[in-house]
Amino acid sequence: MLDATIRTGAALEIEALSVAYPSRGGWLQALDGVSLSIAAGSVRGLVGESGSGKSTVVLALLGLLGPAARVTAERLAFDGHDLFANASALRGRRIGVVFQDTAAALNPALTIGSQVIEPMRVHLGTEHRAAWQRGTDLLAEMGIPRPAQVMRSYPHQLSGGMKQRVGIAAALASEPDLLLLDEPTTALDVTIEAQILALLDELRSRRNLAMLLVSHNLGIVDRLCDTVSVLYAGRLVESGTTGEVLHRPRHPYTKGLLAALPRPDRPHAGRLAPIQGNLPDLTAPDPGCNFRPRCAFAVAGCYRPQLLSGDRHQVSCHRVDAVADLPWPAEPVPPTAAPVASAVPLVEARELSIRFDSGGWLQRLLGKVGGVLAVDRVSVTIRNGEVLGLVGESGCGKSTLGRLLLRLLPARGGTLRFASAVVGARPDAHFRQRAQVVFQNSDTSLNPRQTVGMILGRAVRWFAIASIDAEVSAEVDRLLDLVRLPRSYAQRYPHQLSGGEKQRVGIARALASRPKFLVCDEAVSALDVSVQAAVLNLLRDLRDELSVAYLFISHDIGVIAHIADRVAVMYQGTIVEEGAVGDVLQPPYHPYTELLLSSVPLIGKRRTVAASTQAARAVPMAGGCKFADRCTRRVGPICDSVPPPVQQAAPGHGIRCHIPLPELAAVPHWLSQ
Amino acid sequence: MGMAAFLLRRLLGLVGVLLGMSVLIFGIVHILPGNVAYAILGEFATPAAVAQLEAKLGLNDPLPVQYWRWLGAMLHGDFGMSIVMQRPAAPLIAEALGRSALLAVFAFGLVAMGGIGLGLYAATHRGRASDKVLTLAQFLLIAVPEFFWAILAVLVFASWLNLLPATGYAPLSEGVAKWASHLVLPVLVLAFGLVAHVSRLTRSSMIEVLDSRYVLAARARGLPERKVLWRHALPNALLPAITVLAIDAGLLIGGIVVVETVFAYPGLGRLLVYAIERHDLPLLQVGMMVVTAIYALANFVAELLYAVLNPRIRVAGATA
Amino acid sequence: MTLLTLPRLSAPSALVLGGALLLLIGLAAVVGIWFTPYDPAAFAVRERLQPPSALHPFGTDEFGRDVLSRVLAGAHLSLATGFGAMAISLAVGVPLGLIAAFHRGVTEEVIMRSVDLLIALPPVLLGLLVLAVTPPSLWKTIAAVGLVYVPIMVRLTRAVALGLLEEDFVQAARARGEGAPTILWHEILPNAWPPIIVECGLRVTFAILLGSALSFLGLGPQPPASEWGLMIAEGRDFLRQAPWVCLAPGLSLCVLLVCVNLVGEGLRERLDPQLRGRSHA
Repeated sequence: MLDATIRTGAALEIEALSVAYPSRGGWLQALDGVSLSIAAGSVRGLVGESGSGKSTVVLALLGLLGPAARVTAERLAFDGHDLFANASALRGRRIGVVFQDTAAALNPALTIGSQVIEPMRVHLGTEHRAAWQRGTDLLAEMGIPRPAQVMRSYPHQLSGGMKQRVGIAAALASEPDLLLLDEPTTALDVTIEAQILALLDELRSRRNLAMLLVSHNLGIVDRLCDTVSVLYAGRLVESGTTGEVLHRPRHPYTKGLLAALPRPDRPHAGRLAPIQGNLPDLTAPDPGCNFRPRCAFAVAGCYRPQLLSGDRHQVSCHRVDAVADLPWPAEPVPPTAAPVASAVPLVEARELSIRFDSGGWLQRLLGKVGGVLAVDRVSVTIRNGEVLGLVGESGCGKSTLGRLLLRLLPARGGTLRFASAVVGARPDAHFRQRAQVVFQNSDTSLNPRQTVGMILGRAVRWFAIASIDAEVSAEVDRLLDLVRLPRSYAQRYPHQLSGGEKQRVGIARALASRPKFLVCDEAVSALDVSVQAAVLNLLRDLRDELSVAYLFISHDIGVIAHIADRVAVMYQGTIVEEGAVGDVLQPPYHPYTELLLSSVPLIGKRRTVAASTQAARAVPMAGGCKFADRCTRRVGPICDSVPPPVQQAAPGHGIRCHIPLPELAAVPHWLSQ
Repeated sequence: MGMAAFLLRRLLGLVGVLLGMSVLIFGIVHILPGNVAYAILGEFATPAAVAQLEAKLGLNDPLPVQYWRWLGAMLHGDFGMSIVMQRPAAPLIAEALGRSALLAVFAFGLVAMGGIGLGLYAATHRGRASDKVLTLAQFLLIAVPEFFWAILAVLVFASWLNLLPATGYAPLSEGVAKWASHLVLPVLVLAFGLVAHVSRLTRSSMIEVLDSRYVLAARARGLPERKVLWRHALPNALLPAITVLAIDAGLLIGGIVVVETVFAYPGLGRLLVYAIERHDLPLLQVGMMVVTAIYALANFVAELLYAVLNPRIRVAGATA
Repeated sequence: MTLLTLPRLSAPSALVLGGALLLLIGLAAVVGIWFTPYDPAAFAVRERLQPPSALHPFGTDEFGRDVLSRVLAGAHLSLATGFGAMAISLAVGVPLGLIAAFHRGVTEEVIMRSVDLLIALPPVLLGLLVLAVTPPSLWKTIAAVGLVYVPIMVRLTRAVALGLLEEDFVQAARARGEGAPTILWHEILPNAWPPIIVECGLRVTFAILLGSALSFLGLGPQPPASEWGLMIAEGRDFLRQAPWVCLAPGLSLCVLLVCVNLVGEGLRERLDPQLRGRSHA
């Protein structure tokens, strides 16, 4: 079996790589016997959730794990060179690397140019002026506009997407044969991600580069990789060609991962199938299958060590044939009947705006007030028990709109009605009780110095749901039951909970007042896919049980497609398209919606998108369409000067655009398989 | 924010601080319980003598008028009179300032070089024996007050070893060796505690930088360790050191007051203590104002230096 | 936000060791107010400037007073300066910092500009200025030193509170319609005190240093008080013949400062979330 992995022409060979770190609880086994190889010029994906150890693989290959780590491997070779002994000679020279967090990976004190040419100067001995010229060409090759000017700039002057292009350029400067990509697009918006993926795809064919793409995102792995390895808690569970692994997964974990993924091309596809439980304790590795406690197919024999076996499609599960045709089981549906959203409006916002001023008191004194209209005359209506999905890129104002609807920020103009009653700038307790919020970051959304019981109890008492201790704790128990947490969790502090559990507590706290409306602000975005599915299911069940309406804010179109009844697409403070989820996700599209949908990496659909590299203007032109300068389908000067009208494509489906509806409809359905 | 706007802001801030400080100094001297005339003449002065002095000093005018007169005079270069020495304050202060500046410059140079150097050494030898010894030494050094250092230094080098003069000052005209011998102890004592402080902070900021993603990225690009340290890590680690040095300038000024007193060194610090002891309030006010202005200027320079060295402030605006 | 950072030793041992020693010193200081081997103020001209001996472990000073007795009798003064000044900066600085964080706008601007002003005066000078005009005494030294550290406490409190106000759990409280006092009590204070306590630990050291320096300059308790800084200043004239008169209070001061430092460091290790986060990573 080992012989099969050592193929001639393999650029990278890893055999039985193990890495352990010292930790408070003893040695933490981050990687446990990982083997994989990459053929010259091919791309392998390394997939895993947080804690799987996928980034450790990259650092181990570069020899940058630090002196504390204990690294062992039967073989760690690049093009015949031993990486154990020679990693420092090869890294940067023949092995390039691109990190996730580009903002932190570029030195703030040095110009872009000096960082790009450094590898050439050090490894190739290129003379400074020649290297500068090569660097400029390289930036141009990366699709960076005005490369000569960018060479002289500092990192803080570039946008996130441009920084990632610079990161790739610096990695390619010394003409490496292997490129390691550690979550290269995770911090980027989906449209920028699509551009970077297109660039990487182009580079690998043009330069015959081998790549190792480390990611948690199955969509981008499918987009770019020839072969995939799936990592779970430090061990490889499945390995094979991308088509086989992602379309005919054989290991239960891979099956679970795919079943848990909300798919934008399958809106309202029923309940997701989450993977129950949490990551195993890596300080005490299970000698048998370490996925066993979470596996839906676990049987008695799973305590034995599992080996990666198979020819081209390798799986480390002894039940692989037995479970071959079984899908990962979905969560049982709760007995309550799903009520349909009623037609009665609950939240009605009309022309809400907010401006964020920039500059300090001095600028204010001098009358130089800058600022952005974060939300620009937005009107939305959310009906009783309805889920309105709000989607858009970072900085588009979607979270701000959420807070305006709760009157947590002072609106500059417009009106807000809740259950037909006007809600003023300082709303009364009655409104506060009926409109609540769930936040994204479960680490900062719970007070670290209060137990779960105190957190929930405070909300219960505040809204006078109960006041006697016994009644309060009964109510806390009820809330914990509601979010499917054990009642004993009332005694725990937030740091004793996993990410998914914390998020459930956040939801329970919002439900304490028995609200009719919840703003879910990226409520599942920080969670791993397997956990996210369970929380999404929970939110959906709660909607049905309690008939709560949601404003569901997310940048993830898959999540929105899964949970929302209606969708609003936001761009620079304006809602450009709104309608039923089925209507918005198929033509006619607003050009911005189309850009978003065409950028989403879909499993099983490889496509090339001619997205414009044009970044949004910081301060959009007054008057015209805000998307005009990025739009590839401009009608003419009218786009810059006249506010676009809302065109009704279907009942309740509005598109804010100058382009006639028939033309908007005459585009491909980006999400159809 | 462009560099010009930044400069304008800081300059306005500097003026504001100086104006506020003049009000504060003037106010404390005149409003705190304790009449100025009594303070000068002693508690048992006759009312007639007090009234006479008050008239002479213009103390019967309303306070804002007095303040305005004082400020206006200072802005015109009139620093008033020392009422005890009966001499103009300006030359007194100028002479003392020159001698103090001598101490400050040498000590500050020592602190900057020694502190940053030791900090970098400790950071690059993190966890090793030398780092631990430095850590312990710094821990103990910080816990010793300057005036006690000064006493110890006098005891060891002047009393026991008889190597250096215990007190006083010799002008350069009396020979370089003599001049320098009077400077060695005060400068060393001034620098001692601050070196520990600066090296400590340099160490932690350097360690933070060494643990950063961009240093990891530089290593991943295969740069030799020497280049990683000097080109990538150092410039970023020195930025916080500038802020620390500015804070230490304030501590240094405090240290100078103490050290000049111990070594009977005729500088500005000693002049201030003298003015306090003798209730020479006009001299005290002006002296305080001068010291404050110098400190404010030092901070201003530090901020400018920080801005010049930090591209995030120096170069504004987006390119792409 | 800490302006001065002290070296780091290992956490629990520093706290326990420093705490135990500090307790011992505190005990000695309290006892020393009423009971000492000799009367600390009693002159004995025939026994002046005697070197350390069994009768006088720290020797005697120029008036023949027992130095050990004087050191013991003066211990509470240094402790009072350190902890008193810290208490003042805490009592004034924390409320001002919270007010500045909760009332953005004019109130905040006024508070923070005043703080800028106070911080623009070098610490010893601020003490000098306050003590210059009126006859010095212990409580004035404490007040002056406390005043020096008020701006630092204001800035720290405001920064911590502003950071917490951005946190989602505070936003959740606001979404429940809770008012500023409730949010302050339940959400801000429980999370704000660790960094404030850490800063206090550091401030005590610097307050003792500054207070003794001011006393040394004659701007603290007046003779015949046996404040340690003052004792050192008085002993200077006999440094050559009788170094123990300076060394005894000086070394006592150093021991006290090391202990306070140990406690401060131990608190920092235990409470500073940044350090805690780093040790986990």
